[in-house]
Amino acid sequence: MNAVLKENLSHFAVTIIGKDRPGIVADTAEVLYRLGCNVEDSSSTMLGGEYAMILIVSHVKPFSKKTLEAEFATKFSGGGLSFFIRNLKVDEVQYQEPMGELCLVSVYGSDKPGIVYRVTRELADRQVNITDLNTKLIGSPAEPVYVLILEAALPEGMSVEEVTQLFAGLKQELKVEISVRLITPVAL
Amino acid sequence: MSVRPIVLYPDPILKTPAAAVERIDAAVTELLTDLVDTMLAGPGSVGVAAPQIGVGLKVCVVDVSKSRNGKDNNHGRLLMVNPEIVARSGAATMREGCMSVPDYTGDVERATDITVRFESPEGRQEISASGFEAVAIQHEIDHLDGYLFLDRISSLKTGLFRRKNYK
Repeated sequence: MNAVLKENLSHFAVTIIGKDRPGIVADTAEVLYRLGCNVEDSSSTMLGGEYAMILIVSHVKPFSKKTLEAEFATKFSGGGLSFFIRNLKVDEVQYQEPMGELCLVSVYGSDKPGIVYRVTRELADRQVNITDLNTKLIGSPAEPVYVLILEAALPEGMSVEEVTQLFAGLKQELKVEISVRLITPVAL
Repeated sequence: MSVRPIVLYPDPILKTPAAAVERIDAAVTELLTDLVDTMLAGPGSVGVAAPQIGVGLKVCVVDVSKSRNGKDNNHGRLLMVNPEIVARSGAATMREGCMSVPDYTGDVERATDITVRFESPEGRQEISASGFEAVAIQHEIDHLDGYLFLDRISSLKTGLFRRKNYK
């Protein structure tokens, strides 16, 4: 899309979550399509038995948040789905390309409180920016295993080795496996 | 001898199989030079295929010797006319980006070891490539067959978690 045109669009952030069933995406997309919205960026997935959608939506002909809320309320009147809509300011829509390396961090081990907190705090304190994160509780009820996988953009100049080193102590303390690998995209 | 503009999707030439070159004449030699110049001008680029500069011929260049991923395992600058992969084995995933599809990257599974046969100004060649060089060659040959990395994306980033049956 033309950059100037894109800058002049208004944007909404939309989140939708509800008990999974076929048709949630189609129903959501239908409402947006009928209102003349573009889905600019979106991610959705199944979490537990729920389906969760996050969308950045733009619209050329401005209309109020209430209009969109009313349309969703009608479409989802059968119940089971909740939604939240927020207006985005222009500066919230600008995407900042990460400058440093991109890495993937896998963490797994016997479940215990604090895995997500301790791992992400280490990263945050060093200005490492998480760009994607998934967690899952697997294993058996007797032996639950926690898996955390995240992608993060390192500050310029920070190496994967430094990130690996960063987690050496935490690995021992939490008794979990932590590995870091480089996944910076290759330009072909 | 010139850097040519990179053709961007949705230009239809990127989805059209390129034609085989009948013989390496002056025009093909010049095309190879332009491909190399264009590759060197692209930031971090390790290969360009003729359709990416708007030419529907089976010609591409690959050079991973200056790249972090390929500097220890490569055949230098490869000028490939009518390249054909005659053997492939292994599989590994790498996150790829492409000058013709800006602002997007995706995980693509490729063979780790390939044997590729091609013509070049130095005559017929057959080489065995592995690692990043093999990935780059497969990516460029895909361009000659009308495929983009978008046709090859092997999984969503979060694919690992999608197989569980919810009770």
